Amino acid sequence: MNTITRRAGARATGGLLALAILAAGCGRDAAQAPEQAQNVTTGKVTGEVTVWAMGEEGKALGTFVKDFESANPGVKVNVTAIGWDVAHDKITAAIAGGATPDVSMIGSTWSGELAKTGALDPTPGNLVDKAAFFPGAWQTVELSGTAYGVPWYVETRVLYYRTDQAKKAGVQPPKTWQEFTEFARALKEKGGAKDGFQQSYTLGASWQEVLPLIWQAGGEIVKDGTYTFDTPEAVTALKQYESLFKQKLAPTNTAEGAFPQTFIKGEVGGFFSGPWMVGVLNNDGGPEFKDKFDVAPYPKGPVSGTSFIGGSAMAVFKKAKNRDAAWQFLQWLSEPKVQAKWYTTVKALPAVQVAWQEPELTADKQLAVFGEQLKDAKTPPPFPTWEQVARVLEGELEKLARGTQTPEQTAKSIQSQADTIGTGL
Amino acid sequence: MRRTRRQHAIIYLGLTVGLVLVVGPFLWTALSSVKPEREIRRDPPTFWPETWTLDNFVELFERVSIGTAFANSVIIALVLVVTNLLFCSMVGYAFAKLDFRGKNLAFGLVLVQLAIPAIVLMVPQFVLIAKLGMVNTFIGIILPTVVTPLGVFMMRQFISDLPDELIDAARVDGAREFRIYFRIILPLCGPALATLGLITFLSSWNNFLWPAVVAQSENMYTLPVALNILNGNEGTHYNLLVAGSVVVIAPILLLFVFLQRFFIQGIATTGLK
Repeated sequence: MNTITRRAGARATGGLLALAILAAGCGRDAAQAPEQAQNVTTGKVTGEVTVWAMGEEGKALGTFVKDFESANPGVKVNVTAIGWDVAHDKITAAIAGGATPDVSMIGSTWSGELAKTGALDPTPGNLVDKAAFFPGAWQTVELSGTAYGVPWYVETRVLYYRTDQAKKAGVQPPKTWQEFTEFARALKEKGGAKDGFQQSYTLGASWQEVLPLIWQAGGEIVKDGTYTFDTPEAVTALKQYESLFKQKLAPTNTAEGAFPQTFIKGEVGGFFSGPWMVGVLNNDGGPEFKDKFDVAPYPKGPVSGTSFIGGSAMAVFKKAKNRDAAWQFLQWLSEPKVQAKWYTTVKALPAVQVAWQEPELTADKQLAVFGEQLKDAKTPPPFPTWEQVARVLEGELEKLARGTQTPEQTAKSIQSQADTIGTGL
Repeated sequence: MRRTRRQHAIIYLGLTVGLVLVVGPFLWTALSSVKPEREIRRDPPTFWPETWTLDNFVELFERVSIGTAFANSVIIALVLVVTNLLFCSMVGYAFAKLDFRGKNLAFGLVLVQLAIPAIVLMVPQFVLIAKLGMVNTFIGIILPTVVTPLGVFMMRQFISDLPDELIDAARVDGAREFRIYFRIILPLCGPALATLGLITFLSSWNNFLWPAVVAQSENMYTLPVALNILNGNEGTHYNLLVAGSVVVIAPILLLFVFLQRFFIQGIATTGLK
């Protein structure tokens, strides 16, 4: 899997089962009123809590929970690590079969779909404070005003660039769209990045790079409960996206998997991606590469410099055998100290704002860029159909990047397909 | 007609190209499993490792309980081989040689199942298994494939071609159906059974989605499911994946080497019927 697209790729496998689950849920009243969250006990809890968590986090969480267990004698947390590829299918199947764990980690765009099955327990207001989280992160767990679960960690996209090439070209990280285009041109013409700037255009990640552009242009992809892709703002964003390809500042012939080696070799001078790329670059580039790249916030568009926020949440299932302990476990995960310690464990960025004041996080200069960017970051709507619409975006964006359709046609085409798919609510 | 040297050369050239194409990726995987991660991801890639290391395997065994997963995979695959050989040949015999009401309809239903993609059945099957309380058990992983339509179809085709006279003779000698099946039919099905056994073993060994969904704790994970955890936060760890692939592929390769004779024979005898 391409490193730049990992989460999106992992989620893409979910489509088939999602449909099956939705079909299974048809018997229920589709237009249900917003659910009311039930309070949970804040007192002493005991018993076992089963937790599913994906990938590295799943492996690391098993030992990480020891602190929670020693703080709450009598509680045993059983963590099962599951692979990202299968997580969505596994959770949806578990819901259909009524064989859910107490708690599961969920991808940031899954909440809507899972909540709609009626299997998730609304977040109790007496235990979790919404204001403690980054607003964009809280958005990922909220559906029609009700929160299902708690954001656990976040990631956001920033600009990565080759400092050596920027220095050679005599340019600073761009602050605006205009500066950005000039920045990419300078890297290519003077800095030595022969292919210019890495901009995604194939299946997997391109939509995650275009949504920020739409937001930066002042557009919204959802308004009054419907998708709105065919707006002047979206067209402005698509034009900005297209311009890089048109001016030959971004390659459209990158071989699958060639990136990020192309960046390490200096063939491309920059790209937009999430915090995990720091680790990937340090690892693949070797010790001497560490000083050759840096990160900077998104350049501002006509309206803002909004980025994309992703990450993962933790949710409790209604069928949880140990509801009180499950929610207290989630509350513990959201404590600033625990969030900071979790960062040192797997480098997952805290979703809780004050956790960024902890010494573990203030020490790193590159990290501060992500912390700053998180204050202005949005997420796609938690609609059950979002994954389907994302695939449409990817398909249409590739056509745009390859020059077979104009930005206006692209916006229209995305809109009409999104209309056909609907929001699924 | 005797082939000339030139013709030989051409044939061997073709075979060599084929061999390289087939074996090359395996070889690269195997060699990569003893390279450090940085070397695997380097561009241009190296074929022969510059640095030899067993770190990938060490790390793999530390991170994933490979031993348990390996044992689970073996147990599940062996049980499925046994049940499939037994039940598919029984059902196949009934369809091929016995007369009973609704036989054609029943066989038709078996054929229809061949056409239904497994993914479509997954959710209903899981709901069924969950209602039976078999989630996170071996039986839950095994039950849906104890007897497969493909196996039934294969065995039926093979047994159809066995002469009726043998069965009649056994009947004259006083043998009941079960004895006929067990002492006459089964011993004649060697090649078909070998093929079915191999197919069953392979598909169970490689099966990912179903065990991944049914196994809810790590001590029930099979090899592919356990390896999938490595697909993690910081992108994919290719070094661990190639090492894992070697662990998965090695037993299969051994199996092929030992059963090669049966396997080729099996294809030759059942494929053209």
